Amino acid sequence: MSNGSSPSRGAHRPLPPRRLRQRWVSTGALAGLIALTAWAGARVGFSLRELLGNLDKLTRLLDDSFPPEWSFWPRLRAPLVETLAIALLATAAGSLVAVPLSLFAARPVAPAAWVYRTARAAMNLLRTMPDLFWAMLFASAVGFGPFAGVMALSVFTAAVVSKLLSESAEAIDPRVLEAVRASGGGWLECVRFAVWPQVAPHFASYALYSLEINVRASTVLGLVGAGGIGMVLRTQLSLFEYDRVVLIILVSFLVVLVIEQISALTRRRLV
Amino acid sequence: MIDFNGARVVYANGACALDGLDLEIAAGEMVVVVGLSGAGKSTLLRAVNGLVPLTSGDLRVAGRSVRQARGRALRLLRAEVGMIFQDFRLVRQLRVLDNVLVGRLARVAAWRSVIGAWPKHDVDLAFDALERVGLLARAYDRASQLSGGQQQRVGIARALAQQPSVILADEPVASLDPVTSKQVMDDLTRINRELGITTLVNLHDLDLATAYGERIVGLRAGKRVFDGPGAGVRAADFDRIYGRSAPSDDRQEARGER
Repeated sequence: MSNGSSPSRGAHRPLPPRRLRQRWVSTGALAGLIALTAWAGARVGFSLRELLGNLDKLTRLLDDSFPPEWSFWPRLRAPLVETLAIALLATAAGSLVAVPLSLFAARPVAPAAWVYRTARAAMNLLRTMPDLFWAMLFASAVGFGPFAGVMALSVFTAAVVSKLLSESAEAIDPRVLEAVRASGGGWLECVRFAVWPQVAPHFASYALYSLEINVRASTVLGLVGAGGIGMVLRTQLSLFEYDRVVLIILVSFLVVLVIEQISALTRRRLV
Repeated sequence: MIDFNGARVVYANGACALDGLDLEIAAGEMVVVVGLSGAGKSTLLRAVNGLVPLTSGDLRVAGRSVRQARGRALRLLRAEVGMIFQDFRLVRQLRVLDNVLVGRLARVAAWRSVIGAWPKHDVDLAFDALERVGLLARAYDRASQLSGGQQQRVGIARALAQQPSVILADEPVASLDPVTSKQVMDDLTRINRELGITTLVNLHDLDLATAYGERIVGLRAGKRVFDGPGAGVRAADFDRIYGRSAPSDDRQEARGER
């Protein structure tokens, strides 16, 4: 035992724990999932035969769509700018609202337990509603158009950014907070000098990320009447002008791609 | 200046960190508090500026009761008491000058500090404090760019900028090498003598404590088990504070602990 060089022969080594029960549970769970998926397929009438049988319709659709009607481009410029404006405005407004909300919803920062719980509840409520829901809500409240889009996406942005930012604020180094408090700083000063310097780069990153989402989302939101290029898409779809539809999709795709690349590059430098 | 009277602190988990402590510290004194980890040294310091509330008993700082201080009064009391930490606790993302200005927060209107419109008087005080610790040239560097010893001196400057009547130093040299440790302890001693600021220093290293403590207070399990001049610590006192005799390698061990 004490002559060192040879490894111990394992007399006292613990045995690996028996995993039999775990294995049964995971096998059962997998079987359950497969059954559930099969049921879901039957429920929505999924059929491979129908999919393959209609391939000719799909090719006809593609025939109608190509080549894209390039001359339609000048009429897309204004709606495209509108889409970008909606995204930008909503990102700014939503991110601004998210800052206080996320600070209240972070345990080490919140000034009192009831503030923390209220902010958490508000945040969860905002987040459970999808952006399309907000768009319909605001479209019926303030009328169809870009304003409804801005409102809907602002709420959506506030939900996303506050969720992410509150997690960052929960993970701050609380020792700095104690130092500022020991110097006689109040709540506002603690936030400004101990919390904000730690979360600011994260905030910038999340705001950019939500700009990415918003450019994509504001295109889609136009479909339900919230202005921008999506509204043109809806009109052309209903007129069966598929060569124009393809142009719109191409243009949106390019814009989203460019914004995402710029944003991703910037974010990599931030955090 | 600081007057503990039957001070008890019991934490939520039931741990009793201060057990009916009586301790009087006169204005201008330099007191080194020694003891094992968990003996209540940190709690003693944090009671003075109200970061840890007393469970019972009384504690007066500069004639004011810490227990009764709330809100604005508590902030002003904390402004009177500068604090220095083992791990510096600077805002690493901010400039050195801004970190020192944090020491002025209790005296400056919130809207001014929040937007960075510091009154000239307070900026002057911050620069003075930086000059005193010899870091004037680094005022506009990010705090994270400084070495450990420099960061601790910024921590001292932050405390000085408060123009405090008391300085609390919680294991100020435990993260520093021996040479830097000596510099920081010398700084603290000089500040105590020149500015007459009452200074409380927690140290776990008894050698440093006897070298710098005009007065040493030994804590064990939240009780005062030694109180006397640094030069007069005997082996029997060491035994009482640390709960065992003091052969040289045991001393080493006590020093290595956090």
